[in-house]
Amino acid sequence: MNNLPEVPGLDTARVLVVDDNRVNRHLLQALLERGGVTRIEMAEDGNDALARLDSFRPDLILLDLMMPNLDGFEMCRRLRALPAWKDLPVLVQSSLNRAEDRAKAFAAGATDYVTKPINAVELLARVRIHLQNRALLHDLQRFHERTESELSLARKMQERLMPSPERLAEVEAAAGVGIAAHFAPSSELGGDFWDLRHDAAEPGQGQDQGQGRTMLYMVDFSGHGVGAALNTFRLHAICQQMDMSGLTPAEFLSIVNRRLCALLPNGQFATMLAGVVEPAENRFVYASAGSTRPMVWGPGDAEPLLGDSAGLPLGLLASAEYEERSLPLPPGGRLFLYSDGAIEIPVGGDVLDEPGLAALVTERLEEADGARFLDGLLERLRAIGPIDDDLTALLLTRKG
Amino acid sequence: MDYGIEDKEQETLVRLRGRLTFNDHAKLRALIREMLQNKARRQVLDLSTLEFVDSAGIGMLLIAREEMANADKQLVLRSAAGQVKRVLTVAQLNKIVTIED
Repeated sequence: MNNLPEVPGLDTARVLVVDDNRVNRHLLQALLERGGVTRIEMAEDGNDALARLDSFRPDLILLDLMMPNLDGFEMCRRLRALPAWKDLPVLVQSSLNRAEDRAKAFAAGATDYVTKPINAVELLARVRIHLQNRALLHDLQRFHERTESELSLARKMQERLMPSPERLAEVEAAAGVGIAAHFAPSSELGGDFWDLRHDAAEPGQGQDQGQGRTMLYMVDFSGHGVGAALNTFRLHAICQQMDMSGLTPAEFLSIVNRRLCALLPNGQFATMLAGVVEPAENRFVYASAGSTRPMVWGPGDAEPLLGDSAGLPLGLLASAEYEERSLPLPPGGRLFLYSDGAIEIPVGGDVLDEPGLAALVTERLEEADGARFLDGLLERLRAIGPIDDDLTALLLTRKG
Repeated sequence: MDYGIEDKEQETLVRLRGRLTFNDHAKLRALIREMLQNKARRQVLDLSTLEFVDSAGIGMLLIAREEMANADKQLVLRSAAGQVKRVLTVAQLNKIVTIED
């Protein structure tokens, strides 16, 4: 018996022996003690055992079946109905040795079964196995809980990278735009990110009645999950410390690209679109590093207009230059940006792609409320097929 | 994704099939090891039967490009079609890796 492998925590494991026969109880106790178990409590029937659960908190129950008052079958059933004890190993030890009895015990929730007369070596070996499994399960649960709480904290931090409702309202008022946005990582964390920055017009320079300028950008890092999410934090830090005033969207992308080239390991990159609403020109001026194609439409338009978005993703080539492009954005006009999760939804043998998404946008051009527009569109997308990537979508409406 | 390798005189031809996504990381690593062991300098990935690539897949192709360059080999992406071709085009990857029709 002494050459069995060491079971960690055996000396601190608590075992509850449930048997109506005093001799049996003491026999089992002696046996357990010989095997290294020191914390043992006894119960005389099922009621007694259930009453001791919360004070003794056993790691294992050795359970007799035939007992007065509350027998082992019924006790086991009641135990399993308690959420706190649904995983507790219950080792039945009984003189009932027919297959039906075993089946009935397992149906009541028993974990394992040995028949009397007890074989000491076998019983002890099983006790050790169940205690070991319980310890491993416990470790795993603890790890899982810790990971879950850390990820949920990280998720809140990531959500805070994006503009708060207060900051968004400020920019909306200053820039004369309305913005609705949706952010849904495929797991707890994602590689998508968007933000905007409003610079008040400098005195004397007054663009369009002193409205200033709003730089809007959306980023999608390669991959998803924790790795991609860490990159969104890097990018956020880069953008935070940057003076964007006076930068064209193309210059902005070039600078971010150079910074990311120095940071990102081979194989990681980001697609990005940055643009400025130019109210005086009624245009959205933008540059793209391989992002999805931006869509715009004006009041009365029959369908959205798709802009060109070709460009080398960020983080691949430090010397990359970005092209300045523009799309019409009159008062009352709308701009729709989205991550590639929205167009990579499988449809038949192909994917939805931009024209497919544009057709869905066309269906709801009449929807005046930005948030309802996005909700309806996303519902439609989910109905088409599984979205297994991060999905970020943003709708900007120029006030008319 | 799966692949088949064909050794030709001047080049190694690797045909990729199916979908190249984040889940294929281990497989693509193994493929890169095989390509490094091949004698041919030109390592051609034939993408004509590749149906889909996501951003993680593009990332892995870029890792392959760099590993080939480090071993003095050249990576060529050939015959991309459909979604794969659209992704390569919009990302202008021809600026950093050889792309052939």
